Amino acid sequence: MASSRKITLRSSDGESFEVEEAVAVESQTIKHMIEDDCADNAIPLPNVTSKILAKVIEYCKKHVDASKAEDRVNDEDLKAWDAAFIKVDQVDQATLFDLILAANYLNIKSLLDLTCQTVADMIKGNLFPVRNEWLNFTFSIANRELVLVCLTEWVAHRRLFCS
Amino acid sequence: MGAALSGLTEGSNGSGVGPGLGDIPESCVACVFLYLTPPEICNLARLNRAFRGAASSDAVWEAKLPANYQDLLHLVPPERYRNLPKKDIFALLSRPVPVDDGNKEVWLDRVTGRVCMSIPARAMAITGIEDRRYWNWLPTEESRFHEVAYLQQIWWFEVDGAVKFPFPADIYTISFRLHLGKYSKRLGRRVCCFEHTHGWDIKPVKFELSTSDGQQASSECCLDETAHDEINGNHKRGCWIDYKVGEFIVSHTDPATEVRFSMKQIDCTHSKGGLCVDAVYIVPSDLRQRKRRVLK
Repeated sequence: MASSRKITLRSSDGESFEVEEAVAVESQTIKHMIEDDCADNAIPLPNVTSKILAKVIEYCKKHVDASKAEDRVNDEDLKAWDAAFIKVDQVDQATLFDLILAANYLNIKSLLDLTCQTVADMIKGNLFPVRNEWLNFTFSIANRELVLVCLTEWVAHRRLFCS
Repeated sequence: MGAALSGLTEGSNGSGVGPGLGDIPESCVACVFLYLTPPEICNLARLNRAFRGAASSDAVWEAKLPANYQDLLHLVPPERYRNLPKKDIFALLSRPVPVDDGNKEVWLDRVTGRVCMSIPARAMAITGIEDRRYWNWLPTEESRFHEVAYLQQIWWFEVDGAVKFPFPADIYTISFRLHLGKYSKRLGRRVCCFEHTHGWDIKPVKFELSTSDGQQASSECCLDETAHDEINGNHKRGCWIDYKVGEFIVSHTDPATEVRFSMKQIDCTHSKGGLCVDAVYIVPSDLRQRKRRVLK
């Protein structure tokens, strides 16, 4: 077994996290940095705060450990763990979106899929706060061209899909 | 729906709460869209540029199309779909596409993207259809084919049909859309006349299907209720009902699945009549369960 080399990741707010290489390379972005020999010192991640980086590391660690075990039962346990990890009252919405941005930047496909599916479920379940002034929303956009384009598209979409 | 959307970008209005739905980049939005249905995607497309871009992306729409959508495209004249982005291909295929010289219609369900088919009475072999004492064609707006076959009276009641089509892998339900009684519009109201309706409560009608790979299914049903139920109102008369024939499973799109289906009541000791036959529907089973009686 290769020695578990430690990689240091530095968040945007200057905090350092030491993780095993196997965990770090769950992120394709970090993996490429290591392959390109940029990882001798700490890897800076200017787009990820320490709070989010901690969560990402927690996720990657769990998935690396799960893939080591040979038990098939772990598939369902892992799914249950993922569900608990992403449960919205634990993870407030801002954290959820931060996780999406982080998973995208760090290129961690499974985390991106998990977070995007959660957002899709929330959209379906109308779990986003509702404000009643739709007109305020459209006219408060500075870019009027965007409003016109969006409205035109909306009309076209309604014709196609909502008849 | 518009009201609900206004709250989605709460976080991105610079209130410092953190990123909101409006802040995620287009590639992530496309990822979210993989889990949403086409109507939901189109509704969200008006949110902002990233959503609009993702809602037009080929990757998202290719995932919504069935695996063998190219076969469906071949039914359409090529100049209509050449150079179309995948989204417009989906829109094109979600409207009824004529198959078999216009004898049948195929379309993609707008929500799930699964293939549905409808075969009109015209495309089926109906015993005695050419004899106006037995059958007549009624023009109507209540059928997607604008006409239904009306049975006045007959002893040998048999309707057969067949279709060969590259259905995507799925479990499909076949059903006959039937209406007891003759309907018409009088002074703007829908009126039903049951003067010819008789004989359906004596013996059941037998529905059968079989496929080229050996699957079979059948069911039996009395189309009418016996007389004493009329006190409570006869629920089988005066409305369109989908009578389920059965289910068949398609495992591979190639070779094309061939299905034969039929509806019979050939006990010639009694006559029957007063029935409208619209069409046969072949629809994925769980789709049909969701949309019980809304097939029009």
